Amino acid sequence: MGNVIKKLMIGLVVGGALVGITRALEFPVVFQMMFFAYAILGAAVFILLDAPSLAPMSGIKSLIVLLAFYIVLCTAFISGASMWPQYDPEDEKGKIDKILKPKRAATEQGKAEELIARAKALDEQAKALAVRLKALGGDQATKDQSAGASPATTGAAPGDFMKLGEEQWQLQECYNCHKLKGEGGKKRGPELDNIGNLLTPDDIKQKILDPKSWMAEGFEKEYEKKKMPDKYKDLMEESDVVALASWLGTFKNTSVNTPKPIKKK
Amino acid sequence: MKTWQRSLVAACALLALFGGVAYAQAPGAPPVEFPYTGNRTAVWIVAQLHILFAGFILGAPIFVVISEWLGYRKQDPRYDRLAKEVTKVTVILYSMTALTGGLFIFVLLATYPQFTTWLINHFYLLFAVIYPLLFISETILLYMYFYTWDSWKGEKKARHIALGVLLNLIGTITLFVIDGPTSFMNTPVKAEGISPQEYLATATLWDKIFNYSWMPLNLHRLVGNVTFGGFVAGLIAAYMYMGAKKEEERAYYDWMGFVGNLIGVGALLFLPFMGYLLAYELCDYDASICPYMMADQLSMFFEMQGAMIGLIFLASNYYIWLSMKRIVGVEKVRMTILAPIVMVVLPLVMTKVMTDYPVPDPTSLAFLLPLLLAPFLVGRFIPLTVSARTVIKVGFLMVVVGDAIWLTPHGFVPTGAKLVAELELPSDWNFLALMPAKNSAAFTLVFVTVVNYVIYNRAIGQGTIVWGKIDFISQFVLIFLAFSAIWTMGLMGAVRSLLRKYYHTYNLLPDFSAESFTPTLSYSAWWITAITVVFYAVVSFAILVTLRPSDSKGHAPEGSPVPAGAK
Repeated sequence: MGNVIKKLMIGLVVGGALVGITRALEFPVVFQMMFFAYAILGAAVFILLDAPSLAPMSGIKSLIVLLAFYIVLCTAFISGASMWPQYDPEDEKGKIDKILKPKRAATEQGKAEELIARAKALDEQAKALAVRLKALGGDQATKDQSAGASPATTGAAPGDFMKLGEEQWQLQECYNCHKLKGEGGKKRGPELDNIGNLLTPDDIKQKILDPKSWMAEGFEKEYEKKKMPDKYKDLMEESDVVALASWLGTFKNTSVNTPKPIKKK
Repeated sequence: MKTWQRSLVAACALLALFGGVAYAQAPGAPPVEFPYTGNRTAVWIVAQLHILFAGFILGAPIFVVISEWLGYRKQDPRYDRLAKEVTKVTVILYSMTALTGGLFIFVLLATYPQFTTWLINHFYLLFAVIYPLLFISETILLYMYFYTWDSWKGEKKARHIALGVLLNLIGTITLFVIDGPTSFMNTPVKAEGISPQEYLATATLWDKIFNYSWMPLNLHRLVGNVTFGGFVAGLIAAYMYMGAKKEEERAYYDWMGFVGNLIGVGALLFLPFMGYLLAYELCDYDASICPYMMADQLSMFFEMQGAMIGLIFLASNYYIWLSMKRIVGVEKVRMTILAPIVMVVLPLVMTKVMTDYPVPDPTSLAFLLPLLLAPFLVGRFIPLTVSARTVIKVGFLMVVVGDAIWLTPHGFVPTGAKLVAELELPSDWNFLALMPAKNSAAFTLVFVTVVNYVIYNRAIGQGTIVWGKIDFISQFVLIFLAFSAIWTMGLMGAVRSLLRKYYHTYNLLPDFSAESFTPTLSYSAWWITAITVVFYAVVSFAILVTLRPSDSKGHAPEGSPVPAGAK
């Protein structure tokens, strides 16, 4: 028992020291706790190394211990996995719907679903009109119908177009490689806050559709390794690429050192 | 299970396969809706169960035949007995592989009929001809191998071993063949300047099979299956040791547990590098896979993987420690001081070297190889030595340090989009979260384990092993290793499948169902645990029915203690 206490004390002291050092080095609290946990894990390992031998078991006793061991393992693995930060699938569901919508619409099933949905909507409208016509006079019903017409002919405002570009930035997860407005990026790709002063929207569009067409200065290795995926021409709609390129073209922050693009094609 | 029952199960599986292929030709079959689990999870459960059984029946024969050969060469009956007992369990689990395989096809066709039809059409020759032929060949060979065990002995033993080699050859080809469509779903064929659909229309069957991730997946699964098979052999030994009533039985199963663990750990040493190769090729195929895997939605799955690998290495080294404790004379064993020094400096040196010369630059090897080999090549010329106990304890310290490096994330967030300063590593320390540091952690774990086995080898050369007298807790370590290995397989299998994101076949065939999102790690852990428990229950039952009734009749007793040199 003395040995266990001694090792536990060493673990606590080492853990405390690690917390002190990491705090001095301005590690966030969660990392300080993590380093403390490593020290306790180390102590547990060394306690186990010198633990007294387990007496052999047999029969029903070994079976019960075995079942208990499995229950402990299952509980530990499930709770261990549940303790890590959990990704919220709701964050992704909306994105996936938006990305797949044009693809779904292009399939036979998508077309059929759309037709069915339209037919259903028309059917409901017709039923509602029939009910109103029965209850009201004809003039009033016509007035209601014209008031309720959907503004299908309304065109997209410029603000909506820019919003679509920003949405594409999020949907295609460009932020995983490029920093913009101080957010995202892991140095895999250049920071883009001043891209509007270096490339026109058409150039940006060319780069998205054909990543080999332009190379950012200082990103020679990434360019050679084809780090920017050559897939957006197949995955994105033409209008979405134009919207994204136009939106990126509005970023003209000269205080950010966006690397100079070099024309390759 | 009798021969006719096994044959019936195999026939049912083949019928399901052929029926599935035929059904896939019928257009417009509507998908069914699985209650409670949903379609995707239903496919996940059956597929994972099938892969676990298949992994064992493909991995176990590799070391079974080696064990049989060792028994023949050393004239040590223990190796032959080990091989035969594992084969008995393999035969039962073979039936389960066939059964779950057939069920997998039915569930897949019922839930995703359009995609399954599409996939089968692209690999028609493979699914309708090649795979069934290989499956039938393997069935015949496995049963021949098992049923000729007792008749092909003595002078005919070499013939039996050759049959085992042929079984492994067909098994490996089967694995490689079925990895074709599996890897194709992750990395379908593509060419620069042509749309994937256009290129696919002109691609041959070989083009589709020989895709970016095919060979890395083959290697990863091959090594993984041996690891898994070794640990399950350890599990068999642990169960039998716990149930043994005679000293000689305990001695034998203690020895079998050690060998099972040795096989499992021996293959495990290569597994991180095979996994790295697979991840490298996936990232090379499409760089956006990398952040999804390591920094975004799946990043915490990799944290859990780090925790599991760390625990597996800790447990396997703890087993070596317990094995050493029962060697009489182990206290005399000493080792060069270079060994613990290299253990301590390895993570630091390797992180630095691999940052300066990242993979695949071979310059890093010029620094690392001399460092790794120094204790073994230069050590004998240095008079300073330390006790084996000290080396192993330093090793354990470094396993904990290695685990800590492997586990340290860039940020405590489930997605890069939610990263804030309060949850992020300070920028000066960000190197701890990068690949050079992770590689150094993996190398440290592997190096410590190798050194421990070298010490063990020296200990048995200088002392005497008392088989059957190992600390009883070691049996729980063996069970833990098997359970953890299976659980980790499930976790990484889920990761590989999830990498396709909202596609059935990446960037090619979208999954329009409502379930095509990334599930939480917690949800995944529940199902992985449930699948592991079901697999464990079946394996435990297989062990009980195949090995328990025989109660070691007719086996020559193994003496205890056995001179260490006889091993």
